[in-house]
Amino acid sequence: MLLEARDLRVSYGDVEAVHGVSFHVEEGELVSIIGANGAGKTTILNTVMGIIPSRGGSIYFRDTEITALPSHIRARQGIRLVPERARVFPLLTVFENIMTGLYGLRKSTDVPSRLSWIYELFPVLKERAKQLAQTLSGGEQQQLAIARALVSQPRLLLVDEVSMGLMPILVEKVFEVLGYLNKEENLTILLVEQNALASLSISHRAYVLETGTISIEGDAGTLREDPGVRKAYLGA
Amino acid sequence: MELFLEQLLNGIAIGFIYALITSGLALVYGILRILHVAHAAIYALGAYVGLGVYILTGSLIVAIPVSMAVCSLVGVAIEKFVYFPLLKYPPYVPLIASIALLIGIEEILRLAASPYIHAFPAEIPIDPVPLGPVTLSPILVTVYLVTVGVLAALWFISTRTELGLAMRASSQDLHIAGSLGINTSRIISITFTIGSSTAAIAGILVGIYFNQVYPTMGAVPAYKTLALIVVGGLGSVPGAVLASVLLGISETLLIGYAHIPLPRDALAFIAMIAVLMWRPQGLLGRR
Repeated sequence: MLLEARDLRVSYGDVEAVHGVSFHVEEGELVSIIGANGAGKTTILNTVMGIIPSRGGSIYFRDTEITALPSHIRARQGIRLVPERARVFPLLTVFENIMTGLYGLRKSTDVPSRLSWIYELFPVLKERAKQLAQTLSGGEQQQLAIARALVSQPRLLLVDEVSMGLMPILVEKVFEVLGYLNKEENLTILLVEQNALASLSISHRAYVLETGTISIEGDAGTLREDPGVRKAYLGA
Repeated sequence: MELFLEQLLNGIAIGFIYALITSGLALVYGILRILHVAHAAIYALGAYVGLGVYILTGSLIVAIPVSMAVCSLVGVAIEKFVYFPLLKYPPYVPLIASIALLIGIEEILRLAASPYIHAFPAEIPIDPVPLGPVTLSPILVTVYLVTVGVLAALWFISTRTELGLAMRASSQDLHIAGSLGINTSRIISITFTIGSSTAAIAGILVGIYFNQVYPTMGAVPAYKTLALIVVGGLGSVPGAVLASVLLGISETLLIGYAHIPLPRDALAFIAMIAVLMWRPQGLLGRR
């Protein structure tokens, strides 16, 4: 198993936001956690990345416990995050933003070939390489955040609400890229999304999160047919 | 004309020294969003350590690196043991702690080395440089060369190295920088090391330039540099340097040459009020 969370609990101050959640991701899978705003999806991803500490439970990556490790060590083990609202570095250029993804790896990586791979996936980033990231549109910033996380060829990509604030046509394009990376590049992805329809269509499996607890889990195809899920998240 | 040129050259030197102190403050503010008032105490400590080592060894080449090392250790200790545990509180909590540190370090210097003014009788082995009608004294040449060297090194590290990229990324989003494999607590310590060593150099230069080292020499710079990072744009190092040089020149020319009847130290705050009214993001700040 690539990633496993057991009975994960996370609190903000005295308020518990995630109440004992367990999930796992196998190598090569694309798994979604869907749920409404405020259900705790972003909290879970940030805890897996090590940005927020957990209050209880444990996280395993490649069968080794990482619960107490700081986020930069998790990143070096091959976990990368595409954060909610992209959070690119506004005052670095597009090129510098991508290079932060290769921090500490420049010597052991073939940088030019990695860059040309990234620019092939996101041609607009090549055009804008010398611009400050704050001058990019929302969709371009989202692509930059994916590029920054992807350039190190992670073992596990965490993707947080990539559809938020994007035009529908861009949402479709971003999900197409994620599906392609999973299928053709064999990249393991854990996705959290409000846009259940789009994420279920490219996922193998999914979890439904309701106010900090997992209520349903199963094959993405089964969940799409589930009457409860359809009613609550697919608008049907 | 000669007087004007002389005053201008002095003003640039004063501005350069402000720039050395202020750039460290701007670096620290940029990464931790803390007003590191105790930075001025590090600067005074740098002057004392530099003077002490110079008296023992008779060599500035030894005194400067020793002082940089001591100040870095103290700076990093302040970061690890005072600021880091207080980061979870509102920003005025570390600010109060920082003011306490400034006063505490001043008092330690007073206890250790007496409350009196010490002379810093350093011999600088450079010949005066003739420049048209005026002559650059050895200390002026030293201030110019050292400041340009230090600022060039800061610029090089920040824009041309992987460490600099990590420092700039960390100052823009500490958590995301960590999630990209950057050891942010190490980056913060490096930032304090760079800022504190720069302050040590400034302390020694000021000690020699005015031939004075005393416990409260950091008191005026403590609040003047705060005004300067506001004028430059909070957290912007180029802005802090620009504001410092402009202030050094204006202080010397307006007060020393044009004899405007104002206390010298008031100018920084007039500039700060003007900036807050008309350009609140500062000269080179964003937003």
